[in-house]
Amino acid sequence: MQETPDNKTHFGFKTVEEDKKVELVADVFHSVAAKYDIMNDVLSMGIHRIWKRFTVDCSGVRQGQKVLDLAGGTGDLTAKFSRIVGAKGQVVLADINDSMLKVGRTKLRDMGIEGNVSYVQANAEELPFPDNHFDLITIAFGLRNVTDKDKALASMYRVLKPGGRLLVLEFSKPVYTPVEKFYDFYSFNILPKLGKLIANDSESYQYLAESIRMHPDQDTLKEMMNNVGFEGTEYFNLSAGIVALHRGYKY
Amino acid sequence: MPLTNLLCGLLETGVNQLHQLDSSAVIKRKQLNGTIISASLKELNFPLYFVISDQQVDVLNKFEGQADCNIRVSFNALNKLQDNHQLTHLIKTGQLEVDGDIQLVQQFAKLLTDMDIDWEEHLSHKVGDVIAHKLCYHAKKIHQGSLAQFNKVEKQTALYVTEEIKLAPSGLEVAYFCEQVKTLETQADKLLLSLNNKLEQLAVKSNKRLGANSLAGK
Ligand SMILES: C[S@@+](CC[C@H](N)C(=O)[O-])C[C@H]1O[C@@H](n2cnc3c(N)ncnc32)[C@H](O)[C@@H]1O
Repeated sequence: MQETPDNKTHFGFKTVEEDKKVELVADVFHSVAAKYDIMNDVLSMGIHRIWKRFTVDCSGVRQGQKVLDLAGGTGDLTAKFSRIVGAKGQVVLADINDSMLKVGRTKLRDMGIEGNVSYVQANAEELPFPDNHFDLITIAFGLRNVTDKDKALASMYRVLKPGGRLLVLEFSKPVYTPVEKFYDFYSFNILPKLGKLIANDSESYQYLAESIRMHPDQDTLKEMMNNVGFEGTEYFNLSAGIVALHRGYKY
Repeated sequence: MPLTNLLCGLLETGVNQLHQLDSSAVIKRKQLNGTIISASLKELNFPLYFVISDQQVDVLNKFEGQADCNIRVSFNALNKLQDNHQLTHLIKTGQLEVDGDIQLVQQFAKLLTDMDIDWEEHLSHKVGDVIAHKLCYHAKKIHQGSLAQFNKVEKQTALYVTEEIKLAPSGLEVAYFCEQVKTLETQADKLLLSLNNKLEQLAVKSNKRLGANSLAGK
């Protein structure tokens, strides 16, 4: 992560006090919670579903395991994992934002998912779980919102069981210039307008576009994971690098 | 691989959408709740994993755990899977390989292929009872009509073919026929000849008698 002096951090392209970022991010997700799923489909043209499928395929998760879906929001991944780990397994949906958690809980209950899922309001930087607890941790489109990413990654490493995996699904750096050009245009010109149209909230989506640009690229994130102890770290570029899935193991 | 992910996604959505319309799906899924079945087509040789739960069927492209049952089936045996009687036959002929509980395979096949969908009922929610009824009525008519038409065409072709075989006999048949005609000819000749002889004999006899009578009458 790029260092900024005097306890300042990035909020999109703005630089803000570190403790204010949490609040600002919270505002963003409070305001988009209700329409979050629709927006996801519209803005990514449904492709986020395929990125998430790929994530599940890379998870190696099986019956009876413990999974943490961190920054899980409305729980797309939680739902899938809940069905795979089955009655003997356990999935924790954790998010810093209680509006998102509520939307997620209601959605999953309506789908009939109960029993093996619990909901925890938690900050990724200070996970309230014992050491060596989970077989798998996923954080999908969440890490870029976290203020201190290194601290969060270290916290994830701590609660992961030896032999467990961390999967980070996040926007990244497109690998071809034309894709990057199109993508820039899309996210700075079209995305906020769509955000205004559908959720009447262009600022949150302006933030989305900016936060994506500030997020570390593929190799930097891989480096950051290795620094906190992850091994065998690798990444897969999806949709020409618009999104990347990083996978690291704790041995 | 995102392309196979897309495929799995489409398959999963398709199956679950149909299940939403199928009144029997919930019970079938309940019976299989918590079961994971790996199924692969012999022609493709990459397995798909079907995770069955109360809520839905999930289709995965990769799974590192142990499936409850592994199935390998050839493409053209797919639609025979739901027929219990055929299963053993399929296994014997090598069109189906099962590693696990065969009863799971039957239940699984039923879950995917044997859907009980009342299209008219579902349609009526969208377009109203009358139109739904009419649409289904016509759809059935068309279906029956095309079925009847199909049967007719099938029969006619059969007839046509046999007829055509009769119309164009083989060389041997022609030779045999000529033979028969020849024997018939000679037989007819013989018959004619003997008939002739008989007639002549008759004529001679009657002439003699005529002569005698006229003598006696005088
Ligand atoms: C874009 S959403 C992703 C939701 C879901 N994982 C998905 O892929 O659809 C990002 C989520 O990260 C959560 N989040 C942001 N900062 C966080 C933090 N420090 N700790 C935990 N969650 C955080 C937000 O509340 C939000 O729900």
